[in-house]
Amino acid sequence: MNNNAYQVTVARDLEDLIPVFLRNRKKELETLRAALAAADFEQLRQLGHRMKGVGNSYGFERVSVLGKRVEDGARSGDRASLEDCIAQYEDYLARVQVAYE
Amino acid sequence: MSDVLVVDDDPDMAAFLARMLENEGMRVACVPDGCQAMAQVGKMPPDLVLLDVMLPDASGFAICEQLKSSPVTAMLPVVLVTALDDSASRVRGIEAGADDFLSKPVRREELIARVKTLRRLHQTRRELEARRLASEVQRKEALRKAFSRYISPRLAERIISDLGEDGAPFGGEPQRVNVVALFADLRGFTRLTESAGVEDVVSMLNQYFAVVTEAAYRHEGTIFSIAGDSLLIGFNVPFPQPDASSRALRAAQDMIVSFAPVLEHWTGQGGRPTGIGIGIASGEAILGNIGSPHYMSHTIIGDAVNTAARLMQMAQAGELLMSNAVHHAAAGAVPAGRIEPRGNLALRGKSEPIAVYSMRP
Repeated sequence: MNNNAYQVTVARDLEDLIPVFLRNRKKELETLRAALAAADFEQLRQLGHRMKGVGNSYGFERVSVLGKRVEDGARSGDRASLEDCIAQYEDYLARVQVAYE
Repeated sequence: MSDVLVVDDDPDMAAFLARMLENEGMRVACVPDGCQAMAQVGKMPPDLVLLDVMLPDASGFAICEQLKSSPVTAMLPVVLVTALDDSASRVRGIEAGADDFLSKPVRREELIARVKTLRRLHQTRRELEARRLASEVQRKEALRKAFSRYISPRLAERIISDLGEDGAPFGGEPQRVNVVALFADLRGFTRLTESAGVEDVVSMLNQYFAVVTEAAYRHEGTIFSIAGDSLLIGFNVPFPQPDASSRALRAAQDMIVSFAPVLEHWTGQGGRPTGIGIGIASGEAILGNIGSPHYMSHTIIGDAVNTAARLMQMAQAGELLMSNAVHHAAAGAVPAGRIEPRGNLALRGKSEPIAVYSMRP
């Protein structure tokens, strides 16, 4: 993935909400892992659904894209795809850069 | 300033929606589930609800249905927040009565546009409703005023409230009631009409009726009929009055006293001597609608009414005759010595003479 994919531009009026938003995404990552370990596909589906809705609303398109893939993977019970998504999510959250305008 | 209730269990989504709306000058409350949403709506009704379809305790559809099925909240606009690709949810949302939909991820322009439009619509609806209510109140008030010229204000009030409920005033069966019936007329008036001009007669009758009806209302009597120069007033109907006999006595006194200046004026103009004669009797009577569907009279009939009419006919100008029962129940209402026994009198249509008492205020 090229570096541009880790660049996110967020509206200035959301700036103070972003630290909490990112903290919650990291918690979400842990919950995703736990759900996959427990093979709780229903929870994975719900988590994916939530990521899909909230990510793009804040301007984090990648969160929505991964959320959609988690949701689909959970529906079909595709463990490999889910593992890949979670790994990508971890990578993304570790490297994402936020700019405000 | 307006209040929007955001119902979403995802704190980031709720915070985002709240921020967008607050930027537009709206006041926002956020709750995470359906139960708290219902509680909040009950406590502080918002102008609009933004409702996520996936909630931990109930679906947004169920909450929407609940809001739309209560008359108190049915008008409250509900925007369901669904996933973009979820057309099944939209169909369910329409069935649940949702006013609009918003897709996640939420685009701020769309959010603001939808909320603003719905709020305007809601406001217009509310204004129309308020205007409709105001005109309804005005109509009732006009009706009440018009009615009150013909029947006692309290009776008018009851007819109007009955109309509001099932459209049939006094819809119930005729009922047996204890009444105190008061008949009043203008003694010697029939003779007077023979000599006076038509306009004079009407003007005199109106002056007389103004005095007696006002006195009747002052003591909360119900006027049941006016025929010629005689007037039938009931007490203890349609509303119970524990002191009905005393009220009737005081109303009678009031009529005779209030009529004195009118009488003086008439006499001064060379009119024939006249005055109010009153009969009061109490007992059981039937209260109900008597007549035909085309001409209905809500009135009282029975022995007490007949006795009061006979007593009135026997009363002299400025005299009040009452039956024993009325005297017994109401003697305390007037100073001692004002009431005199007139002995046992035989009344027309009555087999036995009855004890009659007289009072001249």
